[in-house]
Amino acid sequence: MNRFQKTQSFNFAGLVAGASLLLGGAVHAFVNEAISLAFEAATPYVEEGFEVREDTWSGEVEPGKPLLVRHQLFRGNEYWFWAGTSWPGASIEVDIFDSEGNSIGLESFAKGSLAGVRTLPQKTGTYFIRVLAKYEGAEEGLTEAEKGINPPVEGVGEFPGTVDWGLVYGYR
Amino acid sequence: MPGRSYSLVSSHGGKSLSWIVAAMLGFGLARAQEADVPERIDLSNFPGEIVDKVVVPIPAEIFAVLDKLDEPDWNSGIDLPEEKNQGKERAVLALTFGSLVGEGFIAVQAKNADEIQKIGRRVLSLSESLGLAGAVRPHSLSIIETAGERDWEAVRDELDSTQQTVRDTMKKLRDEELSELVSLGGWLRGTNVVTTFIADSFSEDKAELLNQPGLISHFRSLLESMEGPAKNSPRIRAISTGLARLDAIITRSGDLSEGDIAELRDISRSMLEEYYFSNSANDAATAN
Repeated sequence: MNRFQKTQSFNFAGLVAGASLLLGGAVHAFVNEAISLAFEAATPYVEEGFEVREDTWSGEVEPGKPLLVRHQLFRGNEYWFWAGTSWPGASIEVDIFDSEGNSIGLESFAKGSLAGVRTLPQKTGTYFIRVLAKYEGAEEGLTEAEKGINPPVEGVGEFPGTVDWGLVYGYR
Repeated sequence: MPGRSYSLVSSHGGKSLSWIVAAMLGFGLARAQEADVPERIDLSNFPGEIVDKVVVPIPAEIFAVLDKLDEPDWNSGIDLPEEKNQGKERAVLALTFGSLVGEGFIAVQAKNADEIQKIGRRVLSLSESLGLAGAVRPHSLSIIETAGERDWEAVRDELDSTQQTVRDTMKKLRDEELSELVSLGGWLRGTNVVTTFIADSFSEDKAELLNQPGLISHFRSLLESMEGPAKNSPRIRAISTGLARLDAIITRSGDLSEGDIAELRDISRSMLEEYYFSNSANDAATAN
């Protein structure tokens, strides 16, 4: 069973995100939601012939602190990088730069918790993918709707200072 | 974003036009919803965090480019060695596992269902030696099944999944080093077949595919920082020396020549003979 069969049957990602709200991030250790979201962003592109890799990058980061991922790309392939974050209210951006720091993204999107960038490298070599997670509600905690009917357990839903992030890529 | 320019020049023959059209279509669509992206960043003084993890490209990524540049006879690239006693050295087993998966990617490119199915069975057998058969069995069965259905894309996905499952399982067992050796084994088998094809039909465009100093540097650091029994393994030391020789060629100034590619082919072959291809001296050492 490949990743996309898995991902498509993974439409309970929203459920997982809801569970993380209740568990205050405890789920992160077991299900990498940010990666699941990034794979979901990739799913439509599989239809366009992109082979999406199983190996990924992920972690936690302070909002506003950019991350730089080094990666080998081959001239002649077309690449998409997709990023995700599952922290409620957080957003993510992704872009790509060559070894001199010039942006080489040809197309990109950033829609809240998902983002993507496409490139056609002009040389074979090492490139740099910049991931930037943002969170505007650090002082506010969860909204009333996010808290639900029952009062939250103390500490649950409080912003922990970092948000999760995941990055996947595909080529064709 | 004023001032941002895009070079859409490609040197890949007929396919370049469709890429340019696709790129321009995508470019137009993207403008409306593009994030606020700097045109340039200072890599020497990056104001954030550099992510340590290196994701090693699978051989299929470089094979895909080679297929766009030429029509390699992938069947001639398949070279599945006879099954032999691999010994108990886990580092060697991990390298062999990676190279076997690399062999699988070559067989997929060749659309050779029989060889893929043999490789699928061999993958399972080797995973038993590594104590990972439980995790690998579903993948092995899926490789065999999807090869029988000639669903090449699914086989390729399954080979990637297999390698990833093995690496993840090794990491869970706190065998991070072994996990990286699986990637090294796959990369080495892929590099050997690619250099063989490029040496047979040289072009600068193809030779550029070997411009991978970052990956070689990563593998060298990995072997240099190894601990435990693998650190003193003669085979691992030989692989380390081989990587240094590959590195010296790839980081020389100027483009890679036909002679350079032949050297890369021969060095990568000799590295594979340390654990994968038949080599009478090493086979005797393993038997003892």
